[in-house]
Amino acid sequence: MVFAMVLSPQDAAGALRDIEAAQARSAQLHGYARSSPQLLLWGVLWVIGYGLQDLLPAHAGAIWGAIVPVGLIAGFAALRGAGHEVGWRYGAVVVTLLAFFAAAFFVLWPVSPRQQAALIPLGVAAAYVIIGIWRGPRYVTTGIAVAALTLAGFVLLRQHFFLWMAGVGGAALILAGIWLRRA
Amino acid sequence: MAQADEIIHQQTRLKIMATLRAIPQGEWIEFARLKAILQATDGNLGSHIATLESAGYIAVNKDFVGKKPRTRVALTRNGRKAFAQHIEFLRTILEVAEARHDDQEGTS
Repeated sequence: MVFAMVLSPQDAAGALRDIEAAQARSAQLHGYARSSPQLLLWGVLWVIGYGLQDLLPAHAGAIWGAIVPVGLIAGFAALRGAGHEVGWRYGAVVVTLLAFFAAAFFVLWPVSPRQQAALIPLGVAAAYVIIGIWRGPRYVTTGIAVAALTLAGFVLLRQHFFLWMAGVGGAALILAGIWLRRA
Repeated sequence: MAQADEIIHQQTRLKIMATLRAIPQGEWIEFARLKAILQATDGNLGSHIATLESAGYIAVNKDFVGKKPRTRVALTRNGRKAFAQHIEFLRTILEVAEARHDDQEGTS
């Protein structure tokens, strides 16, 4: 319905500010809601993956070779199940991350299993911080927490690093997922 | 020149439209989440949603997730268009005011 409505420039500026604030908040919370199941999922997968790697270090390749595809497919299904549009960007992000880590390992080779197990979470943490710079402070906090915990375990718990990543790293992702859901 | 839309311009409805506009096209937002974002009460939000729905600006979908009822809302194509026109109207007011201000400074 359209009326001959009289608005002052101050009213118009105020309305535009309200619109901008509401859109920014909505986009941020929508992003958090979208990311939350992914963090919960990968938190659980870290617990399983790093836990198994601690028990069966010789089979790390097979363990992660199974867990990563499961995580990607389940992550896709979680987004679709929640009614989110999942376009080509999901695939593009996955390919970019896989290509980055493949290239990093190639350049740095030989890389020990412990270094591999630290480099991937650090890369993921950096991605979260970068996303958070634009999309919301909770991503930044999550990224910094994951990076700090990974480095702490890498430096301080050489013998039990995989166990540390399973328990503390996985738990950190799960807690971050819950935190984003409650935003 | 774009025109004002009095249905959209009401403060709560303006925020509802802006909130829905920020969500990717084709996606829905749950009533409970919308209520939390806008910090509105059930009754207040419900009445504004009904107004926007009857204007054809938003669509309301009610279903069940398991045994739990769920209400979701999304912008319609008409709503998206009307909101864009209203924003254009607001911007035009500012542009006209700025032009007048510049003219006054030029003549003084």
